[in-house]
Amino acid sequence: MFGQLLIKECKQTFKSLIYWLIVLVLLFDFATQLGGDTEIRKEPQKGESGYGYRSSDDPTLIMKATLGSLVEQFAYDRFVTYPIGFYKHVTLNGKEEKQIEEILQKTTGLSGRAEAEQAVSDWYEAQNTAPGPDGAIMPAKSMEIAPAPDLTYDRFSAYMDEVDSILGGGSSYAKDAREHSASVPMTYEEAMEEYRELTEQDRLTGGYARLFSDYMGIFLGVLPVFLAVTRALRDKRAGMQDLIYTRKGSSFAIIASRYTAMLVMLVLPLLALSLLPLSDCLRYASSAGISADPFAYVKYIFGWLLPTIMTAAAVGMFLTELTDTALAILIQGAWWFVSVFTGALHGGAYGWNLIPRHNTVMNWSGYHDHFSQLAANRILYVFLSVILVVLTVLIYQQKRKGRYRLSWNLSGRLKK
Amino acid sequence: MSEMPYNSKTGRVKFMSAEIRIQNLNQYYGKKQALKDINLTIETGMFGLLGRNGAGKTTLMKVLATLLPKSEGQISVCGRNIEEAKKIRQITGYLPQEFSMYPNMTVYEAMDYLGVLSGLSRKRRKRKIPELLERVNLQNDQKKRVKALSGGMKRRLGIAQAILHNPRILIVDEPTAGLDPEERVRFRNLLCEIAEERIVILSTHIVGDVEATCEQIAVLDEGELIYQGSVSALIEQTEGKVYQAEISKRELELLKKQYLVTSMLTLGNNVMVRFLAEETPFASAKPCEAGVEDAYMYLMQREGGETQCLDNY
Repeated sequence: MFGQLLIKECKQTFKSLIYWLIVLVLLFDFATQLGGDTEIRKEPQKGESGYGYRSSDDPTLIMKATLGSLVEQFAYDRFVTYPIGFYKHVTLNGKEEKQIEEILQKTTGLSGRAEAEQAVSDWYEAQNTAPGPDGAIMPAKSMEIAPAPDLTYDRFSAYMDEVDSILGGGSSYAKDAREHSASVPMTYEEAMEEYRELTEQDRLTGGYARLFSDYMGIFLGVLPVFLAVTRALRDKRAGMQDLIYTRKGSSFAIIASRYTAMLVMLVLPLLALSLLPLSDCLRYASSAGISADPFAYVKYIFGWLLPTIMTAAAVGMFLTELTDTALAILIQGAWWFVSVFTGALHGGAYGWNLIPRHNTVMNWSGYHDHFSQLAANRILYVFLSVILVVLTVLIYQQKRKGRYRLSWNLSGRLKK
Repeated sequence: MSEMPYNSKTGRVKFMSAEIRIQNLNQYYGKKQALKDINLTIETGMFGLLGRNGAGKTTLMKVLATLLPKSEGQISVCGRNIEEAKKIRQITGYLPQEFSMYPNMTVYEAMDYLGVLSGLSRKRRKRKIPELLERVNLQNDQKKRVKALSGGMKRRLGIAQAILHNPRILIVDEPTAGLDPEERVRFRNLLCEIAEERIVILSTHIVGDVEATCEQIAVLDEGELIYQGSVSALIEQTEGKVYQAEISKRELELLKKQYLVTSMLTLGNNVMVRFLAEETPFASAKPCEAGVEDAYMYLMQREGGETQCLDNY
């Protein structure tokens, strides 16, 4: 019975509007967020003008880079934040502008927009580049500015927290972001080491599959709950509950088939979307003589993303059967919101976050060093999902016998 | 499951006796008692369960369909305890009072889905579904979406899904409510055909449905069973108590105060009334043959106090 029900549930999901909306969101995520990051890294060649940058934890460099960004954004009034991981242009009111101007004065000694503009102009002149007509600049190196002589790192941090708060959070002045703001040029050896990690340890596809998982995971931490809630409420809405309740089929077969169908139908578009970056990787690997792993995306989809999907769907099913409402969307939405902002953005220190982040093709060592933590994280969520599904089955079983709904719908029943 | 004997030809579970036996059934919703000490035996054929709205019919139907746990008492369905829900569901078909199906499914898909839930094999579903749709006259609507069906078609589809797994017992709750007269007659006939081989419990507040289909009935009033027996026995109780008279409209109000009027027909300035009286009421009143509706009204007046107007078609 389970197999036949599973096929029927998959067909139902395929025909539901909410499913195609979810697929559209995933497509949008793939095209807009991941699109620019899929260009394959080429092997560094000796004698190149530069080998890229690596982040530095030197406080002076961090202050220089962060303040450089602040001066630049203030000068052209182009404040940008990423509140839930997405670009947002922030327009300041007069009071906020004044507050930032004061902070800028205390941290850099620059007073007013004119001085900030001059500082930007001087910097780019020194870099032999110039700002474009709309203020957009594509310099060889991001702007840096020396901090005021008496500015300590602690005071700097406090001021930057204030700026982030004025901008509404999610700015490059927030603690996590500013600590990654400073970068130093990589040497050829360092660049080669990073490239070797990508092509040998990660077999090229591993790094790209992680980045794919990072971007897709952001939405998959919440989207499955919509599918689960609408599926669970569909019986009630369609007036089909009693017809199903009085069937011979076990509660386990009914709930498990619905849950599995959701997982199958959510994994399918991921597998399809992964074919594009995978083929790019394989083409490059073939030309560069790299032994790429053709199954890397499949492994990451099942190992990294599936536990997130399982959890969001299980929370949706459980809370909907428990309450007969769409409460799960609210709860999972809140959990998702917290998860997206927790943990290291560029991999490593995955912790117990529902949505582990690894927003780079590189940092294999961060992934490798924290692999056991990541594995424990994923196993925990699979385990949690299974528990929630079992609880859903038990609730469903009681509802079929009229034991659970009795207290909930008492007033409704008395009318009959 | 292994202890359950099967009939290899029908695929149906063999049960000891083809009857439903209800003993001392009490049903509570919190402090409110919905069913009071019900004792009832239902055998193969059409069985009508009559009563006003709110009399407890749906509660009894839901208990029999294993959708509600009984509070007190014993119920055995074909020899099985009602608490063995899974086994009872194998032999029971249920058509609730209010139901529908996934609106975007076609008629065939909806039947197929419920067939899977009933544990029918693909082969059996392929054979059985067209057969049943033909029986309920929906053979040309197999590809029609459920949302495009009329009320009557939905009811017929409801019956088809309820007997899909060839149940021994069919429970139908207010199946003709909202149907036009033609559909209602068609539906009654269909139920009678189905009842030739199984127990069909028809719960309704429409006396005409019972009159046209059932031999055995039970009448519920405020959770109490006030009658159980044959329709003819119920009518017998009313013999000699039904009268008909043509009176003026002015006299009607007075007559209504004294007697229970079961029907009336306006004839110009006069009204032809049919009413119940213990003895000959007045000279112009002529005794006439009692019908089920008269008998039901008489019973409700005698056992249940005030009687509300009933639907009859």
